[in-house]
Formats: sequence, C-alpha cells, structure tokens
Amino acid sequence: MNYPVWDVPIIGSGWVIGIIAILHTLISQFAVGGGLYLALAEHKALKDGRDDWFPMLRRHSKFFLILTGVFGAVSGVGIWFAIGLANPESTSTLIHNFVFGWAMEWVFFIIELTAAAVYYYTWGKIPNKLHNQVGWLYAVSSFLTLVIINGILTFMLTPGDAWIEVAGTGAESSRFWQAFFNPTYFPSLFLRILVCISLAGIWALLSYSRMNEDPQTKAEMITWSSKWLIPSFVLMPFFFAWYLASVPEVNRQLLQLGISTIGSGAFTQVTRIALIVVMTTATIVGIVYFFVRMAPEDFSFGHGVAVLLLAAVATSATEYAREMLRKPYTIARHMYSNGIRQASVARLNEEGYLTKSHWTRRVAGDAQTPEAILAKGEAMFRGQCLACHTETGYRAMKKYLKGRNNESIANLMKTLRDYKPDSPYRAYMPQLVGKPDEIAALADYLDYRVNGKESRLAQLMKTREEGEKVVEAR
Amino acid sequence: MNKAISRINGADAGAGDLMSRRTFAQILFTGVGLCYAGAIGYPIYRYLASPIERAKETTAVSEVTLPDAAKLEPGAAMMFKFGTKPALLIHHQDGTWSAMEAVCTHLACTVQYQAEENRIYCACHGGVYDVKTGAAIAGPPPKGLKAFNVKVQDGAVIVSKA
Amino acid sequence: MAKLIASIYGWVDERLGLEELLKFAKKKTVPVHKHSFWYYWGGISLFFFIVQAFTGVLLLVYYRPGPDAYESVRQITYEIHFGWLIRSAHSWSANLMVASVFIHMFSVYFMKAYRAPREFGWWSGMLLLIITLLFGFSGYLLPMDELAYFATKVGLEIPNALPLIGEPMTNLFRGGLEVGELTVQRFFALHVVVMPALFLPILVFHLWLVQKHGNATIPSEAAKPKSEQKSIPFFPNFLMNDLAMWLIALNVMALCASLFPWDLGEPADPLKPAPTGIHPEWYFMSAFQVLKIMGNIFPGALGEGLGITIFTLGLILWTLIPLYDGKSENGRRARNATYFGLLALGILVVTTIWGYAVL
Repeated sequence: MNYPVWDVPIIGSGWVIGIIAILHTLISQFAVGGGLYLALAEHKALKDGRDDWFPMLRRHSKFFLILTGVFGAVSGVGIWFAIGLANPESTSTLIHNFVFGWAMEWVFFIIELTAAAVYYYTWGKIPNKLHNQVGWLYAVSSFLTLVIINGILTFMLTPGDAWIEVAGTGAESSRFWQAFFNPTYFPSLFLRILVCISLAGIWALLSYSRMNEDPQTKAEMITWSSKWLIPSFVLMPFFFAWYLASVPEVNRQLLQLGISTIGSGAFTQVTRIALIVVMTTATIVGIVYFFVRMAPEDFSFGHGVAVLLLAAVATSATEYAREMLRKPYTIARHMYSNGIRQASVARLNEEGYLTKSHWTRRVAGDAQTPEAILAKGEAMFRGQCLACHTETGYRAMKKYLKGRNNESIANLMKTLRDYKPDSPYRAYMPQLVGKPDEIAALADYLDYRVNGKESRLAQLMKTREEGEKVVEAR
Repeated sequence: MNKAISRINGADAGAGDLMSRRTFAQILFTGVGLCYAGAIGYPIYRYLASPIERAKETTAVSEVTLPDAAKLEPGAAMMFKFGTKPALLIHHQDGTWSAMEAVCTHLACTVQYQAEENRIYCACHGGVYDVKTGAAIAGPPPKGLKAFNVKVQDGAVIVSKA
Repeated sequence: MAKLIASIYGWVDERLGLEELLKFAKKKTVPVHKHSFWYYWGGISLFFFIVQAFTGVLLLVYYRPGPDAYESVRQITYEIHFGWLIRSAHSWSANLMVASVFIHMFSVYFMKAYRAPREFGWWSGMLLLIITLLFGFSGYLLPMDELAYFATKVGLEIPNALPLIGEPMTNLFRGGLEVGELTVQRFFALHVVVMPALFLPILVFHLWLVQKHGNATIPSEAAKPKSEQKSIPFFPNFLMNDLAMWLIALNVMALCASLFPWDLGEPADPLKPAPTGIHPEWYFMSAFQVLKIMGNIFPGALGEGLGITIFTLGLILWTLIPLYDGKSENGRRARNATYFGLLALGILVVTTIWGYAVL
C-alpha cells in the first residue's frame, strides 16, 4: 500500500470510474466514428451535388464539436483523475509501461481537436474540397487515438507472455510493442470500430431528429444515417466470437460464474449480459426500422433519445463484461484488483502488509488492545478490500458477512489467505495477504462492523469497562 | 401489416440496391424475431424443463464404483463425481464410511471435509453439516446434504443412491 | 406462399370481418400535441399486466401455497433454471405496473380526460387501480419470507384502522388473528383467482370505453381551431409507437430483473423480533405514513380512525371529480380540480418521502 486509499461510500470507487468511463466511451467512440461520418457525408453531398445537406451537416458538426470536444475531453480527464485515485498502483504501472503510447495519443488528440474546430469554423469559408480534407484529417487522427488506447485497454486483460516475463523487473517498457499488440488487440480493435460506426449513426439520428425545417432532407439524412447501424448488426457476432476465442480459457470461465448470492447454474454473468445485450440490440433494430425506414421525417427527439439510451445500456453491459473477465486482476497475471502485485504476495505474507507503508506503519504494531486491533483491521480492510467492496452499498461487506460470527469470519479469511487451488474464491478474488496477526485483526474488525455489540472485540471492551468500574468503585 | 410495409418499401425502393428492400426487411424481421424468441423463449423452456433435467440426472447414475478408494486412510476424505455433481466420501476414524452430495443446500457451493474439526463445512456462508449423516447442524443451510449408501467390496468402494 | 396467406386471410376475414376492424382502426385518430407522451402510459400499464399474467402462470407451475410456500419459492429462486428470472420479472413488472398505473391516472387527471363523456372510463380506471394495489399487497406475502411476513403484518394495520368494520374485516382477510399459513392460502386464492376474475371484465370494459370515445384532447389543444389540431391515425402510426413503448418497457423490465434480481430473505418466523425499518411496499407508504402521523397527533384508535377516514374521503372525492368538473370549459371548477389534483399529488409524494425518511 504505497498510496492512501480513496473511500467512496455506497457505490465504491470502482463505479466512479465505471460511470465516467461509460459516459466517456459513448462520446469518445462517437468522436471516432463521427469523424468518418462527417467526412463521408460531406463527400457524398459534394459528389451528388446535394447542397441541401450542408446546412444540416454543419449543425450536426457543431453538436459534434461541442459534445466530443467538451464532454468527451473532460470525461477523459475525469477518467485519469478517477483511476489515479481509485487504483494508483495500477495507474502507475500503466504509465511506466505506456508513457510513450500516451505521448503518441496526446499528439493525435491535439490534431483531432484542432481539426474538429477548424472543420466547424471553416464551413463555407474555404473551398469545399479542402474543407472535406480537413474532415478526413480529423477522421484519421481520431481513429489513431483509438488505435493507441485500444492497445492499453486490451493489455490489461491479456498482457501477453513476453511482457509477463519482464514484469516487475523495471525493464517492462522494453517489451512495449509486445504488450501493445497483445493477443486481444485486433479483435478488440475491430469490435470497437464497429461500435464507433454505429454510434456515429445513432448520434446523427439524435442530432437530425431536432432539425425539422426541411422534412424531405431530414428524411433522407435520417435514412442514410440509419444505414450506419447495419455493419454492427451483421458483423458484431463474428468479431465477438473472435474476441472471446482470444481470451484465455480461465477468464472466459469467469463469465460462467454464478453470482454468489444465487446458486442456480443458470444465473451466470453471461446469461444476464447476453439477455440485456440481445434484447436492447433487437429493440434498437426494431425501433430504427419502424421509425426510420417507415416514416423518417417523423423521427422525433424522443425516438433518438430512446435509441441512444438503449445503445448506452448495450455498451455498458459489454464493457461490464469486459471488466468482469479481468477478475481478480487489474493487469492480468501481474497485479490484483486491490493493487497488490502477484509476485509480492510471499514477501507480504512474510513481512506483513502494513509494516512497510508510510500510511499504515503506525497501526502495524503488536499491541493487543481492542482499539489497536480495530485500527489494524481497518487498515487491512481499506487496503485490500475497499477496491471492490463497500461497507453497506455495492458488494457490501455487511451483506456478505451477515449471519457469520467471529469464528466463521475468521474461517473465511483463512480460506481467502490459503487460496488453495480448489478455492471457489480464486476465480474472482485476489489472495488475502498479511501476517497472521494482520489477518486476525481484519477478521476481528469485520466481526466488529458486522456484529456490533455481539462481536468479540465489543465483548472485550465491555469486560474491560466493567473491570474499570470495579476498580473505580473500590 | 404486410401490405403496409410493402407499400412503403415499394415507394422508396431505390434502383441498384444489392438486395431488394423486401428481402432485407424479411431478414431483419427474422433476425429481430429470433433474438426476442431466444431471449424470452430459452429461459422459459429451461424453466419448464427443469424437473425433466433433474429426473434425467437422477436416473442417469444410481451407482458409482470407486476403485482403490478402500485404501483411503481413516480420518480422510475424497471428492468424486456422482453423475454431474461433486460428492464427498469420508472414511471415519471408527472405520465406518459415509458418502454424500457435496453441494451445499443453501446456495449450492461445494462443501469441504475438515478433518481437524471433524465436520463438513461450506466456505461460502459458513454452513456446517454432520460428517456421518450430512444433517445440517449450523449456519444457513435449510436441510441436510443428500446422503448415499456406501459398500466396500474387494478394495473398491461402491456408492449408491439411498 | 403469399397466395396461401392471402387465401387464409380471406377465409378468416369473411367470417370475422377483419377488414372492417382494420378500416375502423385506420379511421380512428389520436391527437398529437406536446403532451402526447402521456397517452402511452395506459398502454404500458396494460403491457405490464400482460407480463404479470404470463409470468404469474409460469410461477404457478412450481409455487405451493400453505406451509410449503417459502420452500417452493426458494426452489424457484435457487434450483429451477431461470426461476430467479421469472420471479424477478414478476416482481419487477408488478412494481412497474403500479408505477405506470399511477402515472396513467395522474396524466388522465391533469389532462382532464375524465370529463364527459368519459366518466365511466375514470371510474372503471379507479376500480382497476384499487384491484392493482390489492394484487400487489396479496402477492407480496406469497413468498412468506421475513420481509413479506412483517410487511403484510404492518400493512394490515391500514384496513384494521377503519372504524367499525375494520377489525372483523381484517381478521377475515387474515384468516386468523395473526398472519400465518392460512393467510398465505387465502391471499393465494385472492391473488390468482378472485382478483383476476374481478380485474379482467373491468379491464375489458375500460378498454372498450377507450375504443368508443377515443383519446381525449387536452383543453388547451381543444381550444385551438380545428385546422390547427394535429392527429395521427391509430393504425398503423399510433399502434407502432405503442408497440415501441412496449418494447422499451420490456427492456426496462428485463434490465431490472436481470441486474437486480429479487432477493429471498430468511423464512418468516413470527417469534423473531421484526427487523428494523420494516415497512409496507412503496405504494402503500403514503397511507401508512398518514396513519402514523394521525396516530401521533391523536393517540389511540381515534387518530388511526381519523387518518383512514380522511384517506377514504379523499379517495371518494377523487373518484367523484368528473361530477364536479365534467364540462369542457375552463372555468373556476376546472381550476379547482387542478388544484385538488396538485394537492393530492403533493400529499402523496411528501408523505411517501417522509415515510422513507423516518424509517
């Protein structure tokens, strides 16, 4: 624990990242697909001599510029803030590896933003052809940002053997390209391209739904934009199968995992995610077909919002599945989701989890007063559990431990620390690390939080107080 | 409804489309329809078919022979598969044998034998079962583990349905 | 193939007159204005009711009322494949149905769609609302877990507070002095036989009235000249929109059911102390809280009796509103009716939030 811990009650720090990231994905993937959309739409309008398309394209590009340039960029920075606070250790590892990657992305990003602004402000002020070329410059540079970030995102799930070999040696960046073009790089890239293209169509639908001045042109542009959804629906299943095939078997099995609160085998993540994705996708197709193809001029803002929300649900479900696949790691086979490196488990068990850190050293002592144990247990909880569990909200510790007494909690901690090959927790939880007294303190702390007055520590405090009273009375 | 669609398709069918609008619409409809039918039909089918699956599972295997299992030390236990489900064979200190399904009756986690405490324990929520009968002793399990009959024959252990 | 379908259609059409129906549906129009959105909520409520009937029958396949109630729900949730999904879908669409029925009622109220000639639509709707709430109440007990048990126990305090008839009626519903196996048995009979038998004919009546009178135009729109009033044909345009709404409703429900599957608590144990913060379902929270407040002001049976009387009186006034504001003119009465509606909505919202705040 090299850094202090960020405690977000109820939703947990993970969901802070999650919420920002889902918003950001919806907008930034639009930024990538939308560049291609604007360039192609303008190209088509120029080729076919459709001057009536220009005013609408111009308004769409304004919407595009504001949405991607402001909200897209701000939410991107938001992700940096959130991941840096929620999981500094993983963020630091990523930066150490990919600083060059991010430098490249930064360059493309600057070009992208500049091109977007130039594109909007030069409508009708420079020759049409040149203007269209600015559009292409935007499309290419924004696509390149996707090319870069995709390497970093996929790296976290499948770092590849070459990188794992040097992980923790300090020479990680010597395997930059191997880590970058990792096993899931290409399937993921193609999946994301498809998503970008369909999001470009969906946002365009939303944008045009409010432009009612020229029903005829609106109808045409709505119809044309709806075609941007087709590649996704046709190709997505194939690319998805490719992606899943590239994911290591052990991760794929995670999707088969039932949620621990419900035992039946049918209640797996994959069923739940599949149900949501299949339904929302089918509904999008249905709505787009009926409203866009049959009466495009009547396509209203409400319809657009409905399609966008459904798309958001489908996107979040798949992104959730992707995050789910990575359990119990943030960087597979290297760093657990609570920031502990797999390689340092043995050392931490030997020397203690709390002893080395500046933030926790003061509670790491051997004092046996209930207060000292509580402080030590709390530090353990914050360091090793809080990354995924909250006390009362999401994946609540109090809910999972309800009905367990001190002994039962201690048993669970033992199971988590032993981390035997057949342990059911191995699939989705990191190994619990620390010296025996630290583990015991954690169990006592959890017992105290869950069972209150019934807990072992509370009983100890009570007897001590009564003892003091007796002393005072004398 | 068909009429309405074909009228509209007819009106805006552009020339030079690779696929006629009609075929495209039909494929689209079939696709969407199948998605919905699958997302709704499959869970319902599995739901209604559950008892059948269960009955098949239970009739499929009624006896499992574990060769060499008689060598198991007293006070030790082993896991084996009874049909599709994990099961637990225990050789008690007093020389008797017990076997039971190793699926916790609470939330279907796999239970384990703890020799040092001489109990069957479920790590998921702390359920405790009796080592001999499989009866639920402590924790959340609503009922005991399903016990099997055990017979030792020529060095092999034969586990059969009670 | 197309020929075969056409000839089958012709055969059926000759006997049932489908073309006439279609012609009627095409001729029928639905007004379009900036508040058109609210027209869909009746349809959404209907959709959730259909889901209820459908998933309800599926649950009936495995549910056993009486002493086995909890065990059978446990099996449905944990052992039967996708039982958790069916059960969650049933619970979620029940809640969503109550919510959409409320939205439907208030939108009808504020759009003044209860005015002549639609009074019977309003009254039949009120009956449907009451039966819907009773459906919710009786269904909530059926799993017989801790929460269901205590929520029903507290919930029964509401009818119990009725003056005179309250106590004997509640006992009759409960099938004893305490909630138990016999209560489950009774509630089960009510939930799957009696209430559907009451609900369905009223629903048919309600829908027939909607067909007969069509959608009401809001007063501000009706005041415009005829040429400025826009409308779309019921078939296929409005029906398409309606179906799209149903699809979205289905999606929302599937989302809730698969992301937040309904929990099953510990089995009900009358001897155990009630868990803290026990409360009835959200749609009874307002009534529950009003009783509590009145009970605090006037201790004893008086306060509770007064609370329930006020509530009943309010409900009667609410039901009789078409008689007060029945004409299509925007005079003093129309304004008063709107104020009354806002007051009712305000009280409902405030007491509900209050109820949750003091848990």
